[in-house]
Amino acid sequence: MPQQVPEQAARRAAIVEYEHVSKSYATTKLGRGAPGAVNDLSLTVPAGKICVLVGPSGCGKTTSLKMVNRLIEPTSGRILIDGADVAGRDATELRREIGYVIQQVGLFPHETIGENVATVPRLLGWPAARRRERAEELLGLVGLDPALYRDRYPAQLSGGERQRVGVARALAADPPLMLMDEPFGAVDPIVRERLQNEFLRLQAELAKTILFVTHDIDEAIKMGDLVAVLQVGGHLEQFAPPAEVLAAPASEFVADFVGADRGLKRLSLTRVAEVALQPVATARVGEPAGEARTRTFADPFPYLLLLDPSDRPIGWVNQRQIPATGTLAASLATPMSPLLDRRTTLKDALSMMLDADVQTGIVVDRAGRLRGVLTVEAIAAALRPGADPAGIAASASGADA
Amino acid sequence: MIDWGWLADHLGAIAYRTGQHVYLTALAVMIGFAISFVLALVAARHRVLYPPISALAGILYTIPSLALFAALISITGFSVVTAVVPLVMYTLVILVRNIVTGLDGASVEVLEAADGMGHTRRQRLWRVELPLAVPLIIAGLRLATVSTIGLVTITGTISDAFGGLGYFILDGYHRGTFLTEMYAGAVPSILLALGADLLFVRAQRRVTPWAQARAFEATS
Repeated sequence: MPQQVPEQAARRAAIVEYEHVSKSYATTKLGRGAPGAVNDLSLTVPAGKICVLVGPSGCGKTTSLKMVNRLIEPTSGRILIDGADVAGRDATELRREIGYVIQQVGLFPHETIGENVATVPRLLGWPAARRRERAEELLGLVGLDPALYRDRYPAQLSGGERQRVGVARALAADPPLMLMDEPFGAVDPIVRERLQNEFLRLQAELAKTILFVTHDIDEAIKMGDLVAVLQVGGHLEQFAPPAEVLAAPASEFVADFVGADRGLKRLSLTRVAEVALQPVATARVGEPAGEARTRTFADPFPYLLLLDPSDRPIGWVNQRQIPATGTLAASLATPMSPLLDRRTTLKDALSMMLDADVQTGIVVDRAGRLRGVLTVEAIAAALRPGADPAGIAASASGADA
Repeated sequence: MIDWGWLADHLGAIAYRTGQHVYLTALAVMIGFAISFVLALVAARHRVLYPPISALAGILYTIPSLALFAALISITGFSVVTAVVPLVMYTLVILVRNIVTGLDGASVEVLEAADGMGHTRRQRLWRVELPLAVPLIIAGLRLATVSTIGLVTITGTISDAFGGLGYFILDGYHRGTFLTEMYAGAVPSILLALGADLLFVRAQRRVTPWAQARAFEATS
């Protein structure tokens, strides 16, 4: 009978291991490589990471996912969760410990949103009051006001709201592992983008182990800590962090699959905070001009960045226009380079710089204070083969301090 | 044209026959539902059995009611069983088909989600598939009840004892088309059918608020 698992005692994240897992389907008419087949899949998903299974349709990614919670049984091989073979577990008990999200969400139309979210707690025999409390907590977590949504029915929600409820429902019993099968596939691109960002923010707090299936390489790159690229017939072509898949595709298939624009895709993977920022000559409004002029001429970069008293950038001053005497006035500054946040992706940063027709972006912190500048050269350096943007940032960390 | 005096003298009889009509209808629909429910669950669990079950119910439905009453008299005599057995038989085809169709109504995604979250087979049936079948089950009960109310008027041909309101219609006819008496049977049975129909529509709204959710949203 259902035993109660106290939330505190539940493991936070699980390790999933595929050991030579194969699934073949009867090959009557379809011949070899029937869709959904999996061929000798071995990979290990570390605890707390998002592993994305990506590939064209028929590559066996969904099959691979469903073998974890035993909706599909492998033909051979083993799948271990925290070292224990799933085949040795009671299937329904196993499934209650694994969060499951599918593309069409599959909310129960006859239950309210609150009841839907509390599905697994109910199967586990939690008392009603605790179920209700948990449902409200989770609705809040996925950004749906419990007072507004708890008593509604799925038919009254938009597609994006339903997807959020689907995620909340999968999290209800605080599972150490989540399986997500194209969880954001059924909504329009704008909503999808927002759901992806929200989910990544959520995952930063929850640190669950997540197996995530998609056919969309951009989604895979964005969501994955690790990306497993599968080929039709269920062959694992590459299993690596997204940056590595883009920088060094393991095969022609992977290179084709990630597309000709993989250089640009790498830009969207790296954030400003990860690359080396350049120092720049600066001065605050009201400071002596002569000294600033001397400093700027000593710097190879011919501009002075003028700051307000709180270190917020006002604009550039060409070294020739800095007066030799007196103090610096805000009116000296010419229009600005784009202001970049440390969390801006290099792709967006480059785009903003191209828009403003400048070679340099100004990076500021949350309060708008100067952190350093980002140059087009620095972006190119970060993409150079073998470049480790984080390493560059570390070696140059004195620059943006 | 209407003999109001006759009506006034027979109010008690009309009330008695109305009660009997309701009783026979309720008895037949309840027994029919119990049998259909079991058959539908069996058919839903073992799909191969559905075609024969459905076909059998269909064949029973095609047997003419008067012929069936006559045939049963030789077995069960002039008892209430003779009246109820055919009534029950006619409800089966409607109810079995509606319940099975209702059970099939749960979408693939809903079933996959239910399995993936760890419902046992039984839990899935009782917590997901049956609740989702309720609108069609109630629609089946509504149809079965209304048609049974119509059929009960014919059971009067077996014996005066089980005619319900049909007794007045037959008796009035035998008295040389005594319209007042015929109306005393026809009008209440029509009202019963309309009332039953309305009752089920309201019951449906009450027990399946989720099915109205979309419309509800549009008006609020």
